[in-house]
Amino acid sequence: MTPVASVLEVRGTPVRLQRAGEGAPLLFLHGAGAGGRWLSFQEALAQRFDVLAPTHPGHGGSPAAEWIEDISDLAFHYLDLLDTLGLDRVHLVGASLGGWMAAEIAVMASHRLASLVLIDPVGIKVEGWIYPFIFGMDLPQLVATVFHRPEAAMALAPKDQSVDTLVELYRQNAAMARVAWNPYLYDPRLRRRLARIGAPTLLAWGEHDRLAPLVCAEAWRKEIPDARLQTFAHSGHVPHLEEPAAVAAAVIEFCGAAE
Amino acid sequence: MKFYYFHLMPYVIDHGEPSSWVTLSNRHYDPAVGHTLYHQYLDQLEYAEKLGWDGICVNEHHQNCYGTMPSPNVMAAMLVRRTSRAKIAILGNGLPLRENPLRIAEEIAMLDVVSGGRVISGFVRGIGPEYFSLAVNPTHSRERFYEAAELILRAWTEEGPFPFDGRFYRYPYVNPWPRPLQKPHPPVWCPSQGSSETVEWAAQRRFPYLMVFTPIKRIAQIYGEYREACQRFGYTASPYQLTVNLPIVVAEHDAKARAIAQANALWVYHVGLRMLPPFYQPPGYTTEPSLRRVLTNRPKLPTELTFEDLEDGGYIICGSPATVRDKLRVFADELRAGIVCSGMNGGSHEATLEMMELFAREVMPHFREDAGVDETAVAV
Repeated sequence: MTPVASVLEVRGTPVRLQRAGEGAPLLFLHGAGAGGRWLSFQEALAQRFDVLAPTHPGHGGSPAAEWIEDISDLAFHYLDLLDTLGLDRVHLVGASLGGWMAAEIAVMASHRLASLVLIDPVGIKVEGWIYPFIFGMDLPQLVATVFHRPEAAMALAPKDQSVDTLVELYRQNAAMARVAWNPYLYDPRLRRRLARIGAPTLLAWGEHDRLAPLVCAEAWRKEIPDARLQTFAHSGHVPHLEEPAAVAAAVIEFCGAAE
Repeated sequence: MKFYYFHLMPYVIDHGEPSSWVTLSNRHYDPAVGHTLYHQYLDQLEYAEKLGWDGICVNEHHQNCYGTMPSPNVMAAMLVRRTSRAKIAILGNGLPLRENPLRIAEEIAMLDVVSGGRVISGFVRGIGPEYFSLAVNPTHSRERFYEAAELILRAWTEEGPFPFDGRFYRYPYVNPWPRPLQKPHPPVWCPSQGSSETVEWAAQRRFPYLMVFTPIKRIAQIYGEYREACQRFGYTASPYQLTVNLPIVVAEHDAKARAIAQANALWVYHVGLRMLPPFYQPPGYTTEPSLRRVLTNRPKLPTELTFEDLEDGGYIICGSPATVRDKLRVFADELRAGIVCSGMNGGSHEATLEMMELFAREVMPHFREDAGVDETAVAV
């Protein structure tokens, strides 16, 4: 299935959107490095849902949005996107950085979520754990930290090493640093707010996550009422890239049951 | 020509680590060795004044072996009471690295008052790795720089108290005691890496501009852009707004100078400036046009330079007094610069002092046609 690509204007900010499939609307928020890509995971979800995959400002070749100061701005940005699209309620799925955004959206507007799936999210401070500083890593270190199955990293490989591509990658990193440099990868206020989430929540987690290991998953599970935790034995930080079929099946089952 | 003695205060060691910055473990730092080094380096700066240098320079770097002056103002404080004539140039304070830049306005004013108005205040953003070491968000670097500079300049020149309400820095009462001695304020210099934005910013304010550890061709190009910008802002740049800024190695004859340079000059590039690729350009630190410019015409990394690159590319000057005089004249003409800002390394403290003495005796006097000029008064 080839997704339909379009560019929307959301309160003055252009948003690149990929959309495919039929069924209840499902908003997928990508992690760092996956902006603008249509992954086999998204393809699998589109067999059952109307999948909407926007690219975060500054990611995947999109222009940066200078007004974005912190993660809550991105959460409001996606609530604005739902308003622009006229979508009252959606299934919300977010991975890693996108999972952090999804959690921020959920504490603001849980009533607009039919269900919530967080795949190895970052975003909260966990006692006894400090996220390794990926901005300071070279490529081999980064791959070793994020992936349990390094061959899965090919899905995120840049298309070439041209100046344009390198500038796009730099912009993407800057967009992430803008909201995640310090405090690094979390919002100090988010954890206490997680209790506000009323939507059915699935935590999908790679058992070998070295960026946000299972101790983080436990913290999320404790804070979100009735959250269910499902782990994936052959994955690191990005199970939807490392075991896309299994994670998609889990998401389809969970979101489907929530309808 | 004016002469400024520039010091990095390196902690010279060889190590096999991939980076001399941010992650090089400080277990390599022996405080007893550091004690000796600091005193030797400060002695060299004090000796420079005795030998006739017009200014002595300190600078700020964090968590590395390349330069061990995390607080340049502390170093300047040691120098103000041990010197009486030379300008003390702090090149510079990393403005965005400070959570509270009003402290910079205060510290520089203290130094200026105690020194009797000899302080030159460099404003810098700090290089990439500082943003990792101090955890300052690099995507805010440029805006914080501009805002902190405005705050400091206003704190020095406007009667307090007044409120300041910026995006990053906010104060109900800006009213520093003491006020600086120099009027309208201590000279501000802008050491930079050549981004067009900083060139414009400095040119517009008549702030002298300088580049370090860059091949002469690129420096000449950027200085040309600076002079053009000055013209656009309605004035002609004074030669004292630009510097020839590079290490000098001088000895009795060329072969000896070359041997000394070969033994010592490469350390800065091969070890001192060795760092992990992500540290060079933290996300958002560089604007996209500047990044494009660097990527399109990518210079060699410091660790890729050979000794021949240093010599032929104009990274250093090395030779007998006569050779150094000739090269210095060529460089100064090419850059149209009125200030030579350079450090020396003879391989040991004693050898460095001897080299400084040779330079002061055999080179400096040939460039003193402007002996009566105050370079900072001219440049504003």
